[in-house]
Order: sequence, then C-alpha cells, then structure tokens
Amino acid sequence: MRRRSVLRSVFTRAVTEELPRPVATRQQPRFKGSLQLRHVDVGSCNGCELEIASAFGPHYDAGRFGARLVASPRHADGLLVTGVVTKNMAGPLQKTLEATPEPRVVIACGDCAVNGGIFAGAYGIEADLDALVDIDVTIPGCPPHPTAITEALRGLTGR
Amino acid sequence: MTLLLVGLGLGLAGAIAGAILPVRVRVLGTAVCSSGACVMTFGAATRVLATGHAVTLHSAAVLPLTGIDLRLDPLGALFIATTAGVGLAASCYGVGYAEHALRSRTATAMFPLFLTSLLLVPATSSVATFLVAWELMALTSMLLLLVEHRHRAAARDAFQWYASMTHIGAAAILIGLVLLATNAGGQTFTDIRTHAATLSPALRSIAFLLVLIGFASKAGAVPLHVWLPRAHPEAPSPVSALMSGAMVNLGIYGIIRVSGELLGGGFLWWWLVVIALGVLSALYGALHATASSDLKRLLAYSTVDNIGLVLIGVGAAGALLVTGHRSLAALAMLAALFHLVNHSAFKGCLFLGAGAIERATGTRDLDRLGGLTRRLPFTTVLFAVGAFSISALPGFNGFASEWLLLESLLHGFAAHGAATLVALLAGVAALALTGGLTAAAFVKAIGIGFLGQPRSDGAANAHEVTPSMLAGMALLATPCLVIGVAPGLLATALDRASGVALGTSSATPLRAGLGLGLPGIGSAIEPMLLVAAGLAAMLFTFGVVRLVARRSVRRAEAWGCGRELQTARMEYTATSFAEPLGRVFADVLRPDHDIEVTHVAESRYFAQAIHYQTRADDGIERAVYRPVISLVAVWGAFASRAQNGSVHRYLAYGFVALVIVLVALA
Repeated sequence: MRRRSVLRSVFTRAVTEELPRPVATRQQPRFKGSLQLRHVDVGSCNGCELEIASAFGPHYDAGRFGARLVASPRHADGLLVTGVVTKNMAGPLQKTLEATPEPRVVIACGDCAVNGGIFAGAYGIEADLDALVDIDVTIPGCPPHPTAITEALRGLTGR
Repeated sequence: MTLLLVGLGLGLAGAIAGAILPVRVRVLGTAVCSSGACVMTFGAATRVLATGHAVTLHSAAVLPLTGIDLRLDPLGALFIATTAGVGLAASCYGVGYAEHALRSRTATAMFPLFLTSLLLVPATSSVATFLVAWELMALTSMLLLLVEHRHRAAARDAFQWYASMTHIGAAAILIGLVLLATNAGGQTFTDIRTHAATLSPALRSIAFLLVLIGFASKAGAVPLHVWLPRAHPEAPSPVSALMSGAMVNLGIYGIIRVSGELLGGGFLWWWLVVIALGVLSALYGALHATASSDLKRLLAYSTVDNIGLVLIGVGAAGALLVTGHRSLAALAMLAALFHLVNHSAFKGCLFLGAGAIERATGTRDLDRLGGLTRRLPFTTVLFAVGAFSISALPGFNGFASEWLLLESLLHGFAAHGAATLVALLAGVAALALTGGLTAAAFVKAIGIGFLGQPRSDGAANAHEVTPSMLAGMALLATPCLVIGVAPGLLATALDRASGVALGTSSATPLRAGLGLGLPGIGSAIEPMLLVAAGLAAMLFTFGVVRLVARRSVRRAEAWGCGRELQTARMEYTATSFAEPLGRVFADVLRPDHDIEVTHVAESRYFAQAIHYQTRADDGIERAVYRPVISLVAVWGAFASRAQNGSVHRYLAYGFVALVIVLVALA
C-alpha cells in the first residue's frame, strides 16, 4: 500500500494524511508552543522506537507542532519513556529524571511503559513505571501508531 | 649608585648568612637579606628610571687587571627593577617553601647569590664585569637546579642539559664580546659603542651572530630552548620563578644591549633573523604549552612562547630602526620591553602558584589535580590572575602589552622593503595564533587543574599553603592587575628604557595618562573604562538574574548519560583536552601513542589489562640534538677506551710521548 501511494505521488499530487488531532491531556499545556524531550528506553523491544522515529520523521513530522527530541535531559522539558523498567535501567531512569530540570513532564509511550504490557510481572523487571515515577501523559498501543504519538505531543504543545 | 651597591652587598651578606647560620634562622636570615637587596636595588632602579640619568662606578679593586665597571642607565634599570620585583616575591615565598625544600646550606647560600648576580648583570658596563656576573648567574642557577636531585632523577638530567646549553651559550658570548673588545681597542661598553662604527661589517656580523646564539639560548628561543622545558620545571619553584621571570629576560637584555645599543643597529638581516627566531619560538612554545599536562612544563613552554613575542618586538624595532622609521621602532621596542616586564610579573606569579599546588597536593600533573578551588581558594584566585594576564584578557597586564605590540607591528607595515613587510606580517600572524593557543593552554590549566572533582588523594586532601607563600604570589599578582588597569603608569620608564636601547632620547609617539594612546596613529586603550564597563555589565546581569530567577536551587549530579558508576576518573583530563590540538598539529608535536593490551589466558576476546601511554616529546630535541648527543657519546666511548684506568697504560703513554718529543727534538 505504501509503495502504491509513493508511486501514485510521482504521477499525481502529493500524498497527505489528515492531521493528527490533539488529544486532551490530564493537564493544561504547560509547554505551550515548544516541548523538548529526552527519550529514555528503559527496556523496550524497539518497536516504540521505530514509531517514535517515524513520528519525528518527514511524514508525520511532530517537529512542526513544536516537539523536539534532544540529546541531554539538561536541555529537556520532559522524558519520553518507552519499555518496561528492567532491573538494569531503573537506576539510569532515576538519574535521568534527576537531571531533568523542573517543571518537567513524563510521557509513558507504549503499553509496556503504561502498564507493563506483555512483559508485566516478568523476572527481569524492577517495577511498573508508574510505581517509580509520576507519569503525566500515557500513549497506549503496542506499538502506538505515529499518529497517536503525535496527537499526544500536540496535546502538550497546544499547537 | 649607593643604593645599588648596598643592595648587592645585602645579597652577598645573604649568601654568607645562608652558608654559616644554623638551620633554624638561616631561612629567615637569607630571606630578609635577599628581600632587602631587592628593595634597595628596586629603589636605585626606579630613581634612575624617574630621572632618566645614568649613574656610573669604576673601581679597580674587585677584579684583577680590569677592575669592575658598573653603569645603571634606564635600560638596565628597567631590567633590575623587574628582577627585584620577582626576587622580592620569590624571597618572601621561599620562607614558606623552605619547610618543603630549599633549606639545605647550599640552597640557602646559593639563592641570594643567584639573585645578586641577576641584579648585577644589567648594571655591568664592561666586557669583563659582564662576563663574570653572567657566569656567576649560570653557576648559581645550575647549583640551585640540583637542590632536589635526590628526590627527582629528572633534575640531574635537566642539570646536564642546562649545564651544556648554558656553557655553549656563555662560550659564544665570550668569543663574541672579546672579539668586539679587542677590535674596538677597549673592553668597556663605552669603548665598544664609540668604535662600533669603525669596525668592519663582517666582524660586526660575526660578533652579532655569536652573541645572538648565547643570548638566545639563555632567553630560550627555539631552537636553543631545549634546556628550558627541563630546567624550569625541575628547579624549586622560587628558583623557577626567578629563572622564568628574571633570568630569561637577561637573554633579551643582552640582545638589546649588545646588538642594538653597542653595535648601533647593524644590518636589516640581523633583525630579520631575530624576528624569525621570535616567530618560531612563539608558535613552537605555544603549541607545546597546550600539549603539556605537567603544569610547570606548560609554564616553561609558555615562557618560550612569550619570549618569542618579545623577540618579535625587538626584531621589529631593529628592522624599523635600520629602515629609518625611528618613532615606529621606538614604539615596537617599548612594546617588547612592556611585554617582558608583564611576562615577569605573571609568569613569576604562575610559577609560584604551581609550586604552591605541588606543595599542597604533592603533584603537578594536571591529570591528577582537580577540585582545588574549594581547597586552595587563595592560591586559585592568585593563579587565575596570572592565567588571565597571560591569556591577555582586558583588564590584565598581558592585554595592554600585546595590544601595543600588535599596534606597533601593524603600523610597521609602513616600512619599506618586502623582507621587512613579510617578517612583520609573520609576526602579526604568530601573535594572533599564539594568543589563541595560550588561552587554550590556560583554560586547560584552570579548567582541568582547579575545577571539577579531585582526581587523586593528594588533590582531595590538599590544604591551603602558608601566608608567606601566598604573600609572595600576591606581590606579583598585584602588578598584573595594577598595570592591567592603568598601563600608563609604566609609560615614562618604558619610554626612557627604549630610548636607551635605540640610542635615541625619548621619541615614542605615546601619550600616557592612565591608559595608553598613540596620537600619530589615532588609536588608544583605556583599560580602566573597559574594566568599569565589564564590572557594570556583570553587576547588572547579576541583579537581573537575582530579580527574575526562582530562588530555590536544586543541586543534581553532573549528567553522565545516566551511568551508575560515575567517579572522578571519568572526568575530562588535561591529556584529553589537548588531544584534538595534538591531532591537528601532529606534524609539529609528533605525539607518541603506545597501546598495550594483555588478554586473559582463556580467550582473546577479553582484555585483562590495557596500558595506554602518550608522550609529546620535543621534536627539535629529537631531530637536532639527539644525533649530536649520540655522536658525542660515541666519541666519549672512544676516549674512555684510551683512558681505561690502567696505571701501566698511562705510564706507557708518558713514555711514548717522551720518546716522540726526544725524537722530534733530536
């Protein structure tokens, strides 16, 4: 289907999708217009990473709504957490949270981060994410669709 | 003159006191004597600088056959005043330092003697007196270098290098000056000056080259610098400060005195050679300073760099004088002398600071320091003043003199002749590049050495040094700040000294209030205003931040990518800081890397230990000096075969020699 649409775009006009709609979050957009995120993989299968990459890629382009991935929590307004919290990553997660200046937002991206997903209760897992940190926004899905990620981010940036 | 003689006498008294007094009082006794000597000679020198009148003394008493000739003119007085300032700080510092080292009878006797010889050299006015003072300076400094040889094998190595280089230099100076004296028909400087014009050009040039070799090796100009990065770090710190802050100056003094003043300027190519030496030294020294991780070695290489800048100024002055631009020449000479004085102040301060750090932490390896700001607050501030000065930040003295030097070089472009122009351009380029490299080197020294977490037990348990050591550093940090804010204060003294150097009366196009202005060129600096503006901006920003920012501050660990084990070993080190520069300038620095991996016996996939070693050896030493040394070693091995300790063989030599003589006579 993808290939067809690309082919079609060569001969007809550009393929577009409808804009993802911003979803209402539990809190009012505190990072209005701009949101810098540090992505933390605490034990993901990398499915979510693919979708995040796609969400920030040229097609869905979450960047146009003011969201950006940054390299250091020192530059970030919040964390974008994927995966279940494994024993090895519990410490680094705490350190990353420590290093993020306040006010900050924590986004749980994907079922594993939201409630453990299919790995819930497995032996290598420290605890559920919400037991360790305060989650502000959840993006369910295994993996969540780029549209879902973009929608959640639009809810935060308000654009 | 009386003041000068009293001062020198006090210095000698200090030497005697150091040799005979019991250990408890001799450190203090020599410090009092050498401080007194510095104060007296400083007074004598400032009086000469203030009035502009030279004082002379001839006495047939001290040296047989020639007697001694002393003459204190503004040029010599400038050097004496500088030396006295550094000497006073070093003597004061030495009291505290002596708990550590420099308390043996040899050391306490040699230190005042070294200081006296440094104060004496610029006051001498005949070849014989000059050479005696020069040799005294060389010998005493050599002995002081050996003071810590029991603890440091490197000191012995440094001594050998220093002894050979300084004696080659002294021999060259001796031959050059004696050549001049015999052909001028008298050994006083006055005789040489009056007859210099009648000497043949070839003779003048040969004499110039000989004294240049000698004085450039004392000043540490590349390629005669090899002793300097060894000797200055290995000497005890007060002695390092005197060596870098006063002794290298005398090399420059010699070049100015003999080739500039006595030989009346000479030819253009002389000064082009001097500029070339300067450019080479400035670049080479600055590059090695950025690559060094030993604090004192870094400072020593930065001395080579600064002496290079001074040589560029001196060379430009000579070249402009020969091509007939008298006032521009005076400006360049003034800038060079100004930078020399400033260099003495900040480099003396930095060497004393390095000594304080070595004393407090037991190491001077920047890779093993860190975290000193809280443990050594006063030392840090004083060292930072020196570092800011040497990096030529506005408001500190290095800025004023480098600005003046740059102005004089840029306006020297008015000179005729392609060669001069190219040389001046090279000088400007060298000045610009070394400015950046020096800043990098001292960002490294402060950022790696003082900030961050301590990287060794010594640095972690450091305690602030004694008040007398701090006072010594403060004595040199103060002029850095005062001259930096009001460079105009030195203008008259520098003007008189450069007038003597170029054989003119005051002809510098310099207007001096508190700042410096060049009316003929239409350029001026007022560091006072710069500092005031900077302080106002800082206060304003501070106030705004206090008003706007939230009061609560949350302290968190430094971000280390979330790794669990984060220790001081993972900090940036001096070596890693310099690594990119080492890569860019690999052709000059030629860094050596050795990586040795030991694998565990079971599998080559697991390393048991990794040894990594990196060195930035002196390329010139490796390329030029090592072959000569190995040649000498071969010759020495040959000679030792002839002289093998066998008495029978020596008797045979005597017998054979006797037979040959008898046969020859028969």
